[in-house]
Amino acid sequence: MAARYINYILWFFGLLIVQVLLLNNVLVFGYATPYLYIYLLFFMDSSLVSRNQLMVWAFFLGLGVDIGSNTLGMNAAAAVLLAFSRPMLISMFCQVNDDANNFRPSIRNMGVAGYLKYLSLGVLIHHIALLSIEFFKISSLSMLSLRIIGSAILTTICIFAIERIRNN
Amino acid sequence: MRKLLQFLHQYNYWFLFIILEVTSFILIFKYNNYQHSVYLTSANTATGKMYEWKSTVTSYFHLKSINEDLLDRNIELEKKIANLQATIREEYSLEEDHRLLDDVVTSKYKFFKAHVVQNSLNSANNFITLDKGSLDGIRPEMGVIDGNGVVGIVYKTSPHYSWVMSLLNTKSNISCKIAGNNYFGNLTWEYGDVGYAYLRDLPRHATFSLGDTIVTSGFSAIFPEGILVGTIDDMSDIDDGFSFYLKVKLSVDFGKLDGVRVIENEDLMERKQLGED
Repeated sequence: MAARYINYILWFFGLLIVQVLLLNNVLVFGYATPYLYIYLLFFMDSSLVSRNQLMVWAFFLGLGVDIGSNTLGMNAAAAVLLAFSRPMLISMFCQVNDDANNFRPSIRNMGVAGYLKYLSLGVLIHHIALLSIEFFKISSLSMLSLRIIGSAILTTICIFAIERIRNN
Repeated sequence: MRKLLQFLHQYNYWFLFIILEVTSFILIFKYNNYQHSVYLTSANTATGKMYEWKSTVTSYFHLKSINEDLLDRNIELEKKIANLQATIREEYSLEEDHRLLDDVVTSKYKFFKAHVVQNSLNSANNFITLDKGSLDGIRPEMGVIDGNGVVGIVYKTSPHYSWVMSLLNTKSNISCKIAGNNYFGNLTWEYGDVGYAYLRDLPRHATFSLGDTIVTSGFSAIFPEGILVGTIDDMSDIDDGFSFYLKVKLSVDFGKLDGVRVIENEDLMERKQLGED
């Protein structure tokens, strides 16, 4: 159990560093930026990390990214929203009999299709929140939706690939 | 109470969620310039709108006191306007005097400024009281004019006041002539209309037309020559058949007499003495 926590903490800092130092500078086609750091929130085990704990993790993870990219509060708000809605996503796309509070979301546990739905909807929630806060005006709605969709696709592909590799 | 605690326990993740989000948004608005400025602008717009609504409601409550203030202010302004108009009128009449007098004045005439303190129109022998008297240099038999023309002749003086026989006095008699030619007559007033006087003893061969100007002749030495008296309004023959009898519309409005000038002719005494001799 302690090993799992240490594992999470390592992932926490690893994702943070990769996001801040590398991925924040990526801009594919002028719209898409991968927000890989939220991967941590997708794979944490519900039996180990309760909903409240997950939100706290999300808050500090987002805050770390914010500090690194000088957008204080934005990633934190979006990540907390994602963590808050994760149990609902799991119960939506997972037909296992297990209780949603005792579950580790993964391809193995949910199947490819289920995991993809779970992942893409979660990414979309996070990106809509994050980019809306970042743009913070309705007038540039088309640019905003382009960025949301582009970034969401990119992030989903990245996370799915990593999840795939880890599960093999 | 138990139910409340149960409720709080059941939905504790909501509270944590709200706390974390609120914290995030506080950070967003505090440390991000763009979001901060948008927040400020929209907040200002919202509060501004609210204040506007509030003022549209509350402004009605103060209408009464505002109205009273306005009335006070109005009275004050009206007073000021009256004062200014009086000043302008005085200046204007001074100018008029000068213009009028520039034509006729020679060094032998001196002018005193005076104000009418009492005036009558409705008796057969009207007199005017001025606020300058013998101490100011006023003597009997000085002429009195205002901006529009002849007013009357000083009749008696006290140290501080003088009594003027108005033109509207059946005993007044001023030597006048028709401007432009030198046919002259005596201007008298008959009890009745305060706007008109009558010019008698005008020779029958005098030529004039209605509307011609009547001015002082200067013969009496009370008034300088050429001071406006009025215009010819109507004409008729006198019974003896030797002279005309002209109805003259007076140029001075005796109903609103205020600032006047008293004319002193320095040669008058000399001329009088000569006459007595």
